[in-house]
Amino acid sequence: MADRRPVNLEISTLKLPITAWVSIMHRISGIALFFGSALLLGALYYSLDSEAGYAMVQDFLVDSVLGRLLLWAVLVAAAYHSCAGVRHLLMDIGYGEELESGVRGAQIVLGASAVLALISACWLL
Amino acid sequence: MGKDGSNVVSNKLQISIYRYRPEHDEAPWMQDLEYETGGRDLMVLDVLEGLREQDPSLSYRRSCREGVCGSDGMNISGRNNLACITPLSQAAPDGRLVLRPLPGLPVVRDLVVDMTMFYRQYESIAPYLINDSPPPAIERLQSPEQRAQLDGLYECILCACCSTSCPSFWWNPERFVGPAGLLQAWRFLADSRDTADEERLAGLEDAFSLFRCHGIQNCVASCPKKLNPTRAIGEIRNQLIKRAV
Repeated sequence: MADRRPVNLEISTLKLPITAWVSIMHRISGIALFFGSALLLGALYYSLDSEAGYAMVQDFLVDSVLGRLLLWAVLVAAAYHSCAGVRHLLMDIGYGEELESGVRGAQIVLGASAVLALISACWLL
Repeated sequence: MGKDGSNVVSNKLQISIYRYRPEHDEAPWMQDLEYETGGRDLMVLDVLEGLREQDPSLSYRRSCREGVCGSDGMNISGRNNLACITPLSQAAPDGRLVLRPLPGLPVVRDLVVDMTMFYRQYESIAPYLINDSPPPAIERLQSPEQRAQLDGLYECILCACCSTSCPSFWWNPERFVGPAGLLQAWRFLADSRDTADEERLAGLEDAFSLFRCHGIQNCVASCPKKLNPTRAIGEIRNQLIKRAV
């Protein structure tokens, strides 16, 4: 018999700690990276394929504002995903497992990736 | 803080409370109520007791009313905690209190959830000493250092605040032991009198029992006893790795 009892699971009613947000964003940036890598690989493929392909990549990704914004988004996702990933590795060897150190680690991840996002914006945009 | 050092609480408390009475309600709904606090920094449980005098159909669990029994775990203004030791100054600093049942478990009635899955996972880690050597004439002794290994582990009151704040437990309550169960798994692994380490570790090495933990620390943030399941899970993971290499 199917359980017809309700379950209270409205995420919007919950107050999550910063450590949870950092984890959710780790997943989102991972998905973004997955599609971003497809984009980059596609660009690499067409740029090597022919002179016309090279020109097309140049037009769509390098010379257009939208294309560079897209590239920037992929870089931001990579920066964030790497920072959060290093935090995970550190936690695996026992650093940042307390609530205070975990929160500090989460803040450092956010701060470091914001700086990296800014640097890549200056470089790309 | 007020001038005399007491916490200032607004006189009129706005309460939004999750109601579900299976014989009346098709679906759960939020009931809006007001409560006169008299400016006192009451515990959330005091408010619930007052509300129940007005409406005896309001259901919740409670017993010791001092944070020892673990019965009144609930979601208080977005965070899991025990109603009896959560003051209004913390739960409703703006005079608005939202009470919902612990997330992820089936609701029996109002704030009462069915804890079966939670207890089943606790049971799965064999929460008792296993020792295959013949019992001595007196107790099995521990040095003070060995006993100290259990501090921060044995204090768990099984209120389920941690496990019901954990997304891995929400999505896989049948297969992921959850923070409360894993804290207790480490409590017995860490016990010098227990000889079943091998069996205990073997029971946790699959992809779900322990490794569904992604270290987001909702459990640590919600534990009313300030215990740290994340660290306990890390300790077990280290043992599992040592055992594998």
